[in-house]
Amino acid sequence: MASELPALLDTAVFAALVLASGLTLLAGYRVIVGPTTPDRVVALDTIGTNVVAIAVLYALQTGEGLFVTVSLVLAIIGFVSTIAVARFVTEGDIIE
Amino acid sequence: MTENEPTVIARTVVRIVVPIILVTAITLLLQGHNAPGGGFIGGVLTAVAFALIYIIYGLDYFETEILGRTALPRALPGEPVEDETQQRPGVTKEFSEVLAIGLAIAAGGGIAAIALGYPFLSQAVAFVEGIPLFHEIEVASALVFDLGVYFVVVGGLLTIVAVVGAE
Repeated sequence: MASELPALLDTAVFAALVLASGLTLLAGYRVIVGPTTPDRVVALDTIGTNVVAIAVLYALQTGEGLFVTVSLVLAIIGFVSTIAVARFVTEGDIIE
Repeated sequence: MTENEPTVIARTVVRIVVPIILVTAITLLLQGHNAPGGGFIGGVLTAVAFALIYIIYGLDYFETEILGRTALPRALPGEPVEDETQQRPGVTKEFSEVLAIGLAIAAGGGIAAIALGYPFLSQAVAFVEGIPLFHEIEVASALVFDLGVYFVVVGGLLTIVAVVGAE
């Protein structure tokens, strides 16, 4: 149902999809190369956030509501993983 | 927990976020028979909510504050126990009981179809009308199987989290 969107919004959504996908690839480069563990962890977090953005943008483009559910679940799991990683980096132990 | 206690911000955010995660999990469980969702992802989200409590409040919080018991030092599963009086079924044992109950529900939902004369795991759906506020709700027998999967996933994941976290 992309035709229901105004032409400008359709273009913007497409551009944002390309941008988010490119950013995900760049973050993937940082995951592989990243000199330290926190670098890799932040890059993985960025990838998670970008996948949430891609899911929402794809839901906008196709008009399928189910991708919003996907992004909701991904966002929740990404939030918890961010907290777990932050605790691991600062204290070296996740659950005590 | 002394100097590495989480900040007030973390504790407050967890207090707000955990109910939201649980509501999302139950929503996904209930809509799972004909929409994205189902027992597995609902169980995963519930386990994530409990893992968040474990991360921020520690392993003993769930037993002392929510179940109202005193947390005694306990052996890991498979570890030799020296003093039997100090040993008490830890909360991990209840998680594996949840897993067993879920397996029984899922299998029982399949066997109930056999008892009614249909092939194993046959499902049906009924539309109940005249409910206030909803007007018509859909009662699917697949919910029973989903509920079983939900309990299996919750029990299994929480056992893993509790055992690995206690090491």
